[in-house]
Amino acid sequence: MTDSFRDDGPRLEVLHELFASATHDASAVMCRWTDGLITVALDEVREIPLEDVANELNIGDELLTMVVLALRGEVGGNMILVFDDDSARQLAASLLGREPETDPEWTEPEKSALTETGNILGCAYMNALTRLINTDLVPSAPYFIQDYAASVLQQALMAQALTCDELLICRIGFRYKNKQLDWRVLFVPTQAMRRAMEQALHSAH
Amino acid sequence: MSSCIARQIAGETMVGMGQATAGRAPERMKAILGSCVAVALYHPRLRAGVVAHVVLPDSAGRNGVPGKFADTAVPHMLTLLKQMGVPSHGLTAKLTGGANMFDSTGPLKIGDANVEAVTRELTRAGIRVAARDVGGTKGRRMSFDCSNGQITIENAGLPPRIL
Repeated sequence: MTDSFRDDGPRLEVLHELFASATHDASAVMCRWTDGLITVALDEVREIPLEDVANELNIGDELLTMVVLALRGEVGGNMILVFDDDSARQLAASLLGREPETDPEWTEPEKSALTETGNILGCAYMNALTRLINTDLVPSAPYFIQDYAASVLQQALMAQALTCDELLICRIGFRYKNKQLDWRVLFVPTQAMRRAMEQALHSAH
Repeated sequence: MSSCIARQIAGETMVGMGQATAGRAPERMKAILGSCVAVALYHPRLRAGVVAHVVLPDSAGRNGVPGKFADTAVPHMLTLLKQMGVPSHGLTAKLTGGANMFDSTGPLKIGDANVEAVTRELTRAGIRVAARDVGGTKGRRMSFDCSNGQITIENAGLPPRIL
């Protein structure tokens, strides 16, 4: 997966640089959590017109399994881990040290395993971003959601949508033993978070 | 007829966030909704309608795509219908969406705010809300049929229902 930028490249490059640094730290945490099986890598930082978000991110109207972590406050955002149901159950089973459940209804241990994955990954990003932008971030408890991904993404975009018609979205991909998985993390920062990230990097340079 | 480019598949147009799409029978318009509200206006005699995918309650004078805010979406929808020769009298409205999907302990219950704002704008325009399927914590997939003004709504894991 190659990184992509729009024509206002320098600004997005700054954000890409900061987010790549945070992703590097988060990948180390994810690798430890999954006993070395899974890492994450930054796929892209993009600005997407509001009406094209679902289409550009290839989020159709299928039902997906997600874990959502909100970073509260003006400098914040939303992080959404997106899985298809089968691979989410495989991850949960792997973490629980058992075979995947066959009952269509998720068990509480399965939900907990997936939710905790979201919590660990989200907190890793939060800690990295806190260090990089020198601002305290306050995470919510993670939410386990099975629903239309486009529906969840709508709410995640609200803070940005208040002032922008082009929305900044960071997309992170998962890899299992260096093979790309069909999982994603979408990070949608608020405008204030975005400014804080840009200012932090400008100060550093 | 659409106000802006929208994705069309087999006579069904996807109305994305901030978009508004008008059409006549037998066209259908579709949207996936979380906290956003889909407003459908329908003229039963002319079998024509328009769907807007409203994202936020109030533009506060800001510029943006007209379907994005409740206060700009409703006038824009009426303009689209007028361009098709559909008068604003005789229209009915149906609303769907406006869920609060996560982190609903925060101050910004945007789903509720969107429903309130759209209702207010429709009242201001003198348009009766004939039916609504709003709120809750689940996403919705909606499909509006210009042939009869019906909206088919699906929640995850539940059978479809007709509004």
